Amino acid sequence: MALKKLSKEKVGEALAELSKFRLIAPAKSDDVVVFKQISDPAEAYLEYGNSTVPPKKFAFPQTETLFRFVTGSPDLTAKNVEEEGTTVIFGLRPCDARAMAIVDKLFSWDFDDPYYLKRRELTTLVGMACVEPPSVNCFCTSLGGSPFGTEGLDLLLTDMGDYYLVEALTDKGEKLEETLSSQLEDAPADDEKKAKDMAAASEGKIRRSINTEGIPEKLPDLWENGLWKKVSAACLGCGICTFLCPTCHCFDIQDEVEESGEGRRCRMWDSCMFEEYTVHASGHNPRPTRKERTRNRINHKYSYYPAHFDVIACVGCGRCINLCPVNIDILEILDQVVDA
Amino acid sequence: MVDVNKLREKAREVISREDVRELIGYRPGTYGFRARPAFVMGPDDTGELIFTPACVNNLASYIVLEEKLPVKRGEEPDLRKVAVMVKGCDSRALVQQMEEKAYDRDRILVLGIPCRGVVDMAKVQAKYPDVLEMGEIALEGDKFVLSFNGTKEEVPREELVADKCLRCRYPTPLVYDELLDEEVERFADDDFADVAELEKRAADDKWAYWEEKFSRCIRCYSCRNVCPMCYCEDCVLDRLQPQWMRRSVDISENTAYHISRAYHLAGRCIQCGECQRVCPVDIPLMELNRKFYKDVEDLYDYEPGTNVENPPLLSTFKVEDKEDFIM
Repeated sequence: MALKKLSKEKVGEALAELSKFRLIAPAKSDDVVVFKQISDPAEAYLEYGNSTVPPKKFAFPQTETLFRFVTGSPDLTAKNVEEEGTTVIFGLRPCDARAMAIVDKLFSWDFDDPYYLKRRELTTLVGMACVEPPSVNCFCTSLGGSPFGTEGLDLLLTDMGDYYLVEALTDKGEKLEETLSSQLEDAPADDEKKAKDMAAASEGKIRRSINTEGIPEKLPDLWENGLWKKVSAACLGCGICTFLCPTCHCFDIQDEVEESGEGRRCRMWDSCMFEEYTVHASGHNPRPTRKERTRNRINHKYSYYPAHFDVIACVGCGRCINLCPVNIDILEILDQVVDA
Repeated sequence: MVDVNKLREKAREVISREDVRELIGYRPGTYGFRARPAFVMGPDDTGELIFTPACVNNLASYIVLEEKLPVKRGEEPDLRKVAVMVKGCDSRALVQQMEEKAYDRDRILVLGIPCRGVVDMAKVQAKYPDVLEMGEIALEGDKFVLSFNGTKEEVPREELVADKCLRCRYPTPLVYDELLDEEVERFADDDFADVAELEKRAADDKWAYWEEKFSRCIRCYSCRNVCPMCYCEDCVLDRLQPQWMRRSVDISENTAYHISRAYHLAGRCIQCGECQRVCPVDIPLMELNRKFYKDVEDLYDYEPGTNVENPPLLSTFKVEDKEDFIM
């Protein structure tokens, strides 16, 4: 597939073209970068490092209606995801796209989750390569990712200065290229090599790492190890590390009923770091303290997930390290696991 | 600035006491200029302890965050003291907790640290985004001195200091068993000019302002969990039967959450600013808390967390209390 280029002058035009779909792009809310639906190309903020909140909510919304009902009536109205329409997530980072590919395995495991999978089917992911690693705590290369990684993406953009190099990676990506045919031009012949060099240079700038070999196999043996108490001592039990994690996918299902009797059953993000996550109806909690909850977070990512799906549920985006209020650092925990 | 050797020596002495179970202090973080809470369980754990302007966390939160597992049959509850290092602002959380009778004074051993200001770590991170290897921050006069990668840089105090330190009324802890350094005289005051500005804005303006902020909220509850005054054993947010507040994340529930929390802190918030510091999506929560703080000060001439003997404001009645705002 021949590489294309999108001149920066034409980005606005391209985004305008794409806004006939449900267009999601990074945008600023005050000084915070968030992914949101945009209707005006000027809202897109493409010179960003990475978003604080990953774009996972556009595949797996933080709160989503599954169906509506009226108390006492057997009739249910299921949510029709199709109505959300074709969606383009423009400019997400390779780690966040790879995270979606990882989470896909869960939602299509023993039960095909119709809501999630339909939404994924309707969504095209346009990635933005990390010419510079966005943070000192990036470690995607330790997990098999790359600042220029393509897993999960349909199209990859690379900032070449005056223009973006455009590489279609899937049929969906090619279709999107067709949509943008008036904005795209052929890329210079040597750009492929140039991009490869840029990828190598960016990978070389990733400064944190962990050798994950053996960790999934070792974790079950460390269940009673004293390290969990130590690494969780400062934990506040908030949801930052899990809610901002692009692969965390735990949810709760609750009914919300109005006084009129009209209600909805909805699914919402839940966090294994919350106390009531595992509270039984009896009041017993099998994970009574933050020690057990922290142990679960690490085990889920680095042991249970690889056991089921052959891939570690962490992409090395570094958000949980960057934003933890008490500097709990997953790489330090993993180092201790290795050394234990 | 407290001498680090003296600090570790004192910690060693304290944790070696038979009536002390645990000591909560600070140690270097894992990257950049971070410092983080340290949990010292024995004299051998004291070697890493520090106190620098990077020690931003309010450790008073951990006194009420402690997890009490049911005591097993035949075992006695561990009633030894928890020792905790607190700056002036943090000490007010202890005072307020004790005003509210959250625990007995003799359950804790307070190591007070007079403080001339800590950094706003977000400002440090923005100025030095590429520093990975542990750097150090010291306050020398009116400058922060940052040492990293073999170099030293001086930055004016105002540029990196946390906002709360610019209007700090209590640099020396208001409660302590031992003070680890010379007392620091009050060097600033709070005129609540920022709150007055906010009050002047039209209602529609204010709504638009907060709508933008609250729409970002992901309800991770880090503001609640970090708060030293949020220690209800059973928080309304966690209740499912009845469910007082919905889990769904939208502007309506988010707004209800933040307004409820602000009301619960009226007359109680001691302005450590931890909620705003930890918010991953930069919601300026202290603007709400400071509005209440100012109102309480104006109406009742009361400052939370300043005197253990004070009864909590909203559970007391005085005949001279103002009534002119009651409808």
